[in-house]
Amino acid sequence: MRRSLLVRRLMATVLPAAMLAGSVSSVAVADPMLGRNMSTYGLPGGIDTPTAETLPDGTLGATVSWSDYGRRGNVTFQALPGLTTVLRYSRIDGINDFRREGYISDRSLDLRYQIVDEQGWRPAVAVGLRDFLGTGVYSGEYIVATRNITPTVRASAGLGWGTLAGRNRTIDVNDEGGTPNLDQLFTGGAKPFGSISWQVNDRLSLVAEYSNDNYVATYSNGREFQQGEAPDSNVNLAAYYRPGRNYELGLYTIGGKTFGAQFSVLLNPRDAPYPSGLEKAPAPVRPRPSPAADPEGWSGQWSQDPTAQPAIQKALGDALAKEGQILQSMALSANRAEVRIRNQRYINQAEAVGRTARLMTRALPASVETLVITSTSDGVPTSSVTLRRSDVERLENTEAGRIAAASAVTDADPFPGDLVRSEGVYPRFRWSLKPYLDLGIFSAEDGLTYEVGGEARASYEILPGLVATGALRQRAFGNIDQRGPAIGLPGTRGQYYTPEEYLADPALETTPEGVPRVRSDTRMYTGNSDPVIPELTLAWYAKPARNIYTRVTGGLLERAYGGVSAEVLWKPADSPLAFGAEVNRVRKRDFDQLVDFRDYEVTMGHVSAYYELTQGFTAQLDLGKYLAGDKGATLTLTREFANGWQIGAFVTKTDLSAEEFGEGSFDKGITLSIPLSWATGQPSRERTTTTLRSLSRDGGAQLNVNGRLYDRVRDSHSVKLYEGWGRFWR
Amino acid sequence: MKPARKMTLAAVALASLSACGNGSEDETGSGPLGVLAQTAQQAVAARRASGQPTAPEKSPDERAAEALRVNPGPLILAGFESLGKTQIMAMTGQNGGTRTYMTPAEEALILRGGMLVGTRGLGNDLSVAEPETEALIRSGASGNGQRVMRYFSGDGLERPLQFNCTVGAGGKPGVIVESCRGHGADFQNSYLVQGGQIVVSRQWIGPALGYVTVQTLRP
Repeated sequence: MRRSLLVRRLMATVLPAAMLAGSVSSVAVADPMLGRNMSTYGLPGGIDTPTAETLPDGTLGATVSWSDYGRRGNVTFQALPGLTTVLRYSRIDGINDFRREGYISDRSLDLRYQIVDEQGWRPAVAVGLRDFLGTGVYSGEYIVATRNITPTVRASAGLGWGTLAGRNRTIDVNDEGGTPNLDQLFTGGAKPFGSISWQVNDRLSLVAEYSNDNYVATYSNGREFQQGEAPDSNVNLAAYYRPGRNYELGLYTIGGKTFGAQFSVLLNPRDAPYPSGLEKAPAPVRPRPSPAADPEGWSGQWSQDPTAQPAIQKALGDALAKEGQILQSMALSANRAEVRIRNQRYINQAEAVGRTARLMTRALPASVETLVITSTSDGVPTSSVTLRRSDVERLENTEAGRIAAASAVTDADPFPGDLVRSEGVYPRFRWSLKPYLDLGIFSAEDGLTYEVGGEARASYEILPGLVATGALRQRAFGNIDQRGPAIGLPGTRGQYYTPEEYLADPALETTPEGVPRVRSDTRMYTGNSDPVIPELTLAWYAKPARNIYTRVTGGLLERAYGGVSAEVLWKPADSPLAFGAEVNRVRKRDFDQLVDFRDYEVTMGHVSAYYELTQGFTAQLDLGKYLAGDKGATLTLTREFANGWQIGAFVTKTDLSAEEFGEGSFDKGITLSIPLSWATGQPSRERTTTTLRSLSRDGGAQLNVNGRLYDRVRDSHSVKLYEGWGRFWR
Repeated sequence: MKPARKMTLAAVALASLSACGNGSEDETGSGPLGVLAQTAQQAVAARRASGQPTAPEKSPDERAAEALRVNPGPLILAGFESLGKTQIMAMTGQNGGTRTYMTPAEEALILRGGMLVGTRGLGNDLSVAEPETEALIRSGASGNGQRVMRYFSGDGLERPLQFNCTVGAGGKPGVIVESCRGHGADFQNSYLVQGGQIVVSRQWIGPALGYVTVQTLRP
């Protein structure tokens, strides 16, 4: 039965209909106004026109819609219960730019905020901005109200501006895009629109709408394009079918002559196939026998025996190893025990701490009452959870909140005198050989890009905190070939230097605007058919004082840069606030990714402030100097769920002008990180992480050094630890 | 070449890509690609295994007799209705009146005098149950009470569900029935009580796992 378990588990993620039958979250509370279908713009509700509906909080979705008007790929995130965001990559047919291909590729961003939800007679009301960064083909704004008429029929009505009023805005051909077009919002006259949706049954819904969009694009150089065929009627019709709760198929017609189809996937971090995980049951707590039954254990006399601690440490270390925990060191006295563990298995540190506490009740003599469990990261202690053993015995099989109230989280003592290191933990040599897959999905220019090959990786931990790491990659096949950067001169948009041209002329390593090419030639590092060294470093992590963590990394830090990187972080265990600073002295690596360097060298770095807000939001502000020597700031806002999902957005603005920066005007992007354990139920700290950023540009470029301190330290600090505390007794 | 065979070969090729190294299983995972490869490997193994004859399944009675012979400690027989499997579980720990029983695969039921208070290792576990009705059930009395069932939800939080329950005598002599309702769900637990201990029962674990029947083989 065990054999095909993983198969079924994977099937459960692929076929969510089965997985959701009767999950806990479906035992319902009052439903907000949730969309019954996805629109062609990737928003809940309507066909082309918007509604005031939302998605369940935290939902991450993708909608692809095809018609004669083009193809829209939308990535949707319900960032807050009322705030829906869409990042769109579209191919718009019928418009010719310099390439004269009959279509253009366009990126756009939408925001919609539901101001009020439906209540009593009052409809839900939302306000939205479509394609609001720069003037785009889809630019428009709206205010819309939606109300249930009967339990199955829902109506929306609103006022639209821009394309939603059939009055598309004139697009400035010289604009680099990417900045909000604030002066144009809600201008140019409004027109009403509306839609009605009918939920026929659990799976099928039908929508009819009245839309003013005439699918015209106008440019400031006087050119005007009709996308596809002009709609001959304002009425659009659609049918949507949901074979499972997470999938939707749609067919629609715009104006009666143009037909389209779409497909949506919706993932909710709350709907895990195995919400509690499939890890093996933890060892039960073993209560102590009465003092009469074990006078020797209760007396504490055993602590005088020099053979006691080594024997206990060995037994506990072996038991912890089966739980994916490494017992680094231990201090033991007659009534107190401290263990320092490295968690290699559980995404929530609380589960590692809880399982360690259970094992301690089974391994320690009866007189030990104070249990201190210190988490470590890269050999450095990060926080200590102190528990009374009698609380652990008393509160097993009660709600997790009770043991949380009886515990204390404090900073770990950096230099305790009585710790004894476990035998055989250091030095530690690890190697692995595995395949790798590099995927590029959201490049409007290149379509889907991929590279497959093998990677050998080894690490040698000489002492706690001192780690040598190396990796070697060999490409097998793929379509990510070597290519020079975009030429970037007037009239050459979309053309690239060949690698030979780029290598032959060192002057090309600076853009025509005078910016050193620090990232825009990143494709020069790809397509190597010989082995490459992605990383070869020596890193030293330390905790010199109670709240202070440091890192020094030297060597080949990343694909394109080598040098030295030093970082310091101040982060008390129970504080939501942290400060950090990083200085890097780096040199650009040669394109063969071996040990040679190119001429460009820079000293850069930043100071950072971090704050953990409520509801799993964290904010990070970096101020400093970037790879190209430009100075500026990066603001990152991340939403994180207790199960490990992370969805974040960042913007970087530096002293480069929009012209110097190029298309997009400034750097911005979205990061997604989904733990594999969420999808498979198997306990693991592994995650898949993707960054969707507009373009590889030279302004606001960061160094991609591994081992930045904040996320590593924060895992076991109070905000994140208590957020995941529900897993303590798991 | 038949398509089925081709598929198997492709799966084997993919499986051979999976990782190797000297690290523990926790460290050497190779991301989504590794998971796919592992799945393919298991699919191949399952295909091979399905061709081989297997020993006839033993009946639950036979297995119970064998377990009683081999294991000297407390044992229960648990039938998970939605999973369609019946398993013998042995006590692995006792804390006060609460006992943890586990299968060899380390899935656990936690019982307090026969009353289900938690499960582990099943994927949709009941974290902990707090039945106010427990005293009524043990004493065989009738009455009402609340029952809080805590589950670990997909977003990583422990969430309580509250049910209103009525306890009374069931149709069969000696059987106590607890009927609960709340959150659009309702369920009925049945208990056979002897001297305050629940010796046989059918209890609801949660919306995803449904009912488990628990029979005491050796108290």
